[in-house]
Amino acid sequence: MPRLNSPAELEEFRQEILSKRDANRPCITICSGTGCHAYGSEKVNAAFEAEIEKRRLEAEVDIRRTGCHGFCERGTLVVIYPEEICYVGVQPEDAAEVVQSVKENKIVDRLLYVDPATGKKVIHESEIPFYKYQNRIVFGNNRRIDPRSIDDYVALGGYSALSKALSQMSPEQVMEEVKRSGLRGRGGGGFPTGWKWQTTRDAPGEPKYVIVNCDEGDPGAYMDRSLMEGNPHSVLEGLTVGAYAIGSHEGFVYVRQEYPLAVDNLTTAIEQAEKYGFLGENILGSGFDFRVKVHRGAGAFISGESSALMTAIEGKVGEPRPKYIHTAEKGIWDRPSCLNNVETWANVPLIINNGAGWYASIGTEGSKGTKIFSLVGKVNNTGLVEVPMGIPLRDIVYKIGGGIPGGKRFKAVQTGGPSGGCIPEQFLDSRVDFDELARLGSMMGSGGMIVMDEDTCMVDTARYFLDFLADESCGKCTPCREGIKQMLGILTDICKGRGREGDIELLEELAEVLRDTSLCALGATAPNPVLTTIRYFRDEYEAHIKEKRCPAYVCKELVSYYIDPTKCQACMICLRNCPAGAISGGKNKIHVIDQSKCTKCGSCFDLCPPRFDAVEKISGEPVPPPLPEDERVLVRGKE
Amino acid sequence: MDEVTLEIDGKEVKAKEGTTILEAARSVGIDIPTLCYHKALTPYGGCRLCIVEIFRGRRSRIVTSCVYPVEEGLVVKTQSDAVVKDRRVLIELMLARAPKAKVIQDLANQYGVKKTRFKTEDPENLCILCGLCARVCEERIGVSAINFVGRGVERKVQTPFQGTLDVDFDVCIACGACAHICPTGAIKLEDITPKKPVPILSEFEMGLESRAPIYIPFPQAIPNVATLDRDKCVHFATGKCRICEEFCEANAIDFEQEDEIVEVEVGTIIVATGYDQFDPSVIPQYGYKKYDNVLTGLEFERITCAGGPTQGRIQLKDGRQPESVAIVHCVGSRDQNYHEYCSRVCCMYGLKYAHLIREFTKAEVYEFYIDMRCFGEAYEEFYKRCSEEGVNFIRGKVGKITDQAMSEEERGKLVVVAEDTLLGRMVRVPVDMVILCAALQNRSDAADVASRFTMSQRADGFFLETHPKLAPVNTPTDGVFIAGCCAGPKDIPDTVAQASAAASKALSLISKGTVTTEAAISHVDETICHGCGRCEEICTFHAPTVISKNGSLVSSVNEALCKGCGACAVVCPTGAISIWHFSQQQIDSLLDGLLEVQHG
Repeated sequence: MPRLNSPAELEEFRQEILSKRDANRPCITICSGTGCHAYGSEKVNAAFEAEIEKRRLEAEVDIRRTGCHGFCERGTLVVIYPEEICYVGVQPEDAAEVVQSVKENKIVDRLLYVDPATGKKVIHESEIPFYKYQNRIVFGNNRRIDPRSIDDYVALGGYSALSKALSQMSPEQVMEEVKRSGLRGRGGGGFPTGWKWQTTRDAPGEPKYVIVNCDEGDPGAYMDRSLMEGNPHSVLEGLTVGAYAIGSHEGFVYVRQEYPLAVDNLTTAIEQAEKYGFLGENILGSGFDFRVKVHRGAGAFISGESSALMTAIEGKVGEPRPKYIHTAEKGIWDRPSCLNNVETWANVPLIINNGAGWYASIGTEGSKGTKIFSLVGKVNNTGLVEVPMGIPLRDIVYKIGGGIPGGKRFKAVQTGGPSGGCIPEQFLDSRVDFDELARLGSMMGSGGMIVMDEDTCMVDTARYFLDFLADESCGKCTPCREGIKQMLGILTDICKGRGREGDIELLEELAEVLRDTSLCALGATAPNPVLTTIRYFRDEYEAHIKEKRCPAYVCKELVSYYIDPTKCQACMICLRNCPAGAISGGKNKIHVIDQSKCTKCGSCFDLCPPRFDAVEKISGEPVPPPLPEDERVLVRGKE
Repeated sequence: MDEVTLEIDGKEVKAKEGTTILEAARSVGIDIPTLCYHKALTPYGGCRLCIVEIFRGRRSRIVTSCVYPVEEGLVVKTQSDAVVKDRRVLIELMLARAPKAKVIQDLANQYGVKKTRFKTEDPENLCILCGLCARVCEERIGVSAINFVGRGVERKVQTPFQGTLDVDFDVCIACGACAHICPTGAIKLEDITPKKPVPILSEFEMGLESRAPIYIPFPQAIPNVATLDRDKCVHFATGKCRICEEFCEANAIDFEQEDEIVEVEVGTIIVATGYDQFDPSVIPQYGYKKYDNVLTGLEFERITCAGGPTQGRIQLKDGRQPESVAIVHCVGSRDQNYHEYCSRVCCMYGLKYAHLIREFTKAEVYEFYIDMRCFGEAYEEFYKRCSEEGVNFIRGKVGKITDQAMSEEERGKLVVVAEDTLLGRMVRVPVDMVILCAALQNRSDAADVASRFTMSQRADGFFLETHPKLAPVNTPTDGVFIAGCCAGPKDIPDTVAQASAAASKALSLISKGTVTTEAAISHVDETICHGCGRCEEICTFHAPTVISKNGSLVSSVNEALCKGCGACAVVCPTGAISIWHFSQQQIDSLLDGLLEVQHG
């Protein structure tokens, strides 16, 4: 493939690809994103390929390994085009049947998704409720292209935004367009992207750098990973457009070490783009030069912070530095450096192609466009969801997420990663955007969304996030290093029943100091999980401290297991399965837990047959004394 | 650079653009507490203690003053309620981390923090992770022997792979900067390297005290300015450091400065190069440099000096005051093994020390002498006074000084073994300190100096005068005079007298402005001279030099230097050099005259 030297050549090339592709020819797409990969999509793919080869169908049926589709709960996902028939939970053994059905133009009924609400099977992907309520403008192409094929991307109109920007727009016009679109940084801060670009463009000093932040490290979040793995060209295209607007000729993509597939696909994408002339010198004949380097992180959460990331690129330990002079002005090696998150860059081609007006029509007053969330936790449909800004939280949890499993009650949703906050049920109808989440004491963050049900202890949740942050704080500044450690200590004490009067106030005081005085956002936002849980679930804290009671029966030290002698049928299930050997009893002898031996693992509670329901959790009150030895004989048929 | 005006604690402050709030505040005497800040290091912003509140319009914000650049019109409060509240909690957090660190305790007292509400993990921990040690090592020393390892709560200062690998990663140069800069005393050099720091001993204090690589040689030094020891300065070793530059307000530090040779044209020269002290360690039985408390007279002189290493307190190496002191005369003098001459000053300074020791310590003093030579005005009286003060005089040369005790009272003492020639028996005197009155000897470079100035040395090495009675400050070279101990041991009054004589000799030449040359001096016939330079080589007085004249080399004679000895005329291969009044014609005429008389 020769280099493309002008927009016209690009269009010509696109038509050439399309002319070779028959839109009506069946194509089996197999999700190869991280979730499905874990389900064994490699093997599924191999099975499909073998099956097609066996039947000599190479000329009739296409097969394509795509990026993440998002519905990770039900992997491996297989979608048959052009009908978009969606099969969930596909196993290698299903390959033969599916290929057969494609050939015969039939549907494999048993692999279809069943809507739990209606009990009906759903044939087409777009009709599955999980997808139906989404607006997948950024993430949608993931399922339609092979991330390692630049032709796939070009066929879907890829690099047309770059071509348009370079040939029809001045850098100022590109910048203006992005500003008017209202795009805000998707990495967490929500800073208006166009204005950030402007700052770097105006800052004195050469060279200027543009950077993609792909150091996503929030527990449970993998939007950036899936985008980078599934559609790396969209990020590269956005980056190159941004570099053109800013006047930068050198870019970095900082990818964390734990994302090997992202590094692999990205490196391939850069090689391809260079070969095609979308990167390198004189891009598309415009005279604009731009090169990209991949920098692999070494596994520190803090390196996702912009100044720490830049310090890491400089080859030093990734620790944040004071940002009173913004990194947009003095970043890598003190040169103007514009850093945006993966998703932010991926939005740019859409804005250039469709115009700022179109983009700004999606979303709310202060937050435009869509946002990809990683919906995880106690929710039926976990996965990646892309929704327009302003969608009610309830729609995400119930319409897309399918509600809480096991008929449990919703308790809270934690947004914004470990530094975000917990939003309780009363705000479930709030509209999700930057400002609303901040008003509720949480934040957008990079888009983590963890749903919690009634079995979640909010003090323990806060403790969990603080534990994560204590581990990930770089330790440079006193408030973050010492403050988080002390907050964690206090929370651990509360969870262990050692909480004291005044602990809540001390936590609040410490939180304020962290917010005021921390060097970077990690420390400044670290108190968020604590503050929001205190704000919305103060009664739980008080129950822990004053009554030594964990209302959700989570905190081990505050929970005891007790076998109700009136319900116990001496079935021996719990007795046999108790790992600590703490349950005594026997056949026809009512079981009793020796509280001094019990490790509170909960096996007895989980294993006691529901029809007996004899094991109880007790918290905040004394465990009734065990029955005297001579009264333990079970007399059946008493009633 | 532009200047901006801001307000700090109600005070209008002008500061250069690019400086920080902290620097601006300190420039007007407003103190903001800091722990991780150091003037010579890049601001770090880690301890957060230097927080201040800044106001812009109605909005206010807490910022870290060590890194926040000044802005025009900024209003800063360094002790606002919010600042003090936050700072107190930060101090509490640090107190929980390092409860025994003095600097944190002081801060706690200053901010009224009685105790911390937070848990202490390690009550012995002193490190507050301010990073000064690691930063000074990297930024200034340039070796990066230590740095932070671990993240967050695991963070600590360490050397690479400490204790985990069998490889020597010890790049430490044992400069001690880390320990010096540590505000809490947490850093101990022995934890970092097995290397021992080598103190730079002060030459002026006779090695009794250490000095910095940049130092003023001694308090009365002329000129009284600092000098940089290139062999010891870290900058010359690693190319970094330059911390002194940050602190020198006059910007006087110049690392590029080179030694320079100044050439001055003069008419007369007085050589007053002084003496060297005899090194007593060549007499092994005296134990100098073997025993801590065996000192030379000059070392003891520093100890008695109020500006010296002990501020004038007479003490032993371990800080105790001596209970007994021996003063040994004639160490290296009046000794056929070393110098046979008398050093002339030792008797009197020995008496001075005895007097001082008696006055300040009440210690027993023993003077071991051969003869007491108290020859000057009031010297004999001073000798008598010392006798009356209870100084013990033992006539006899000391045989050895040892720490081998032979009795209980000698245990832990230095024993001076000597023959008391008055009593005719051997004595063993246990003392705490021994002062050796080392001989005065000619300087080690005396021979070089002598040849440079065409002077002579006596058998003992001191410079020889032209005539002991008629020309006691003259040398064979006219216009070169000698004075002081370079011409032989002498005390201060004698030195001053001789120096005055030399000065007046020099002045008599200077005031005349001209010198009268000898009548019979050499001269060159330039039409014959080839400029071969043999005359230059042979002349002891450096009178002829070969110069280039009208494009050819010829010898030229400095008539003021020429003594008319004729050596040049003898070696001249062409006969170009002759001595005035001794020309061939003149000698022939003389001979003719003589012969005529005889024949006539």
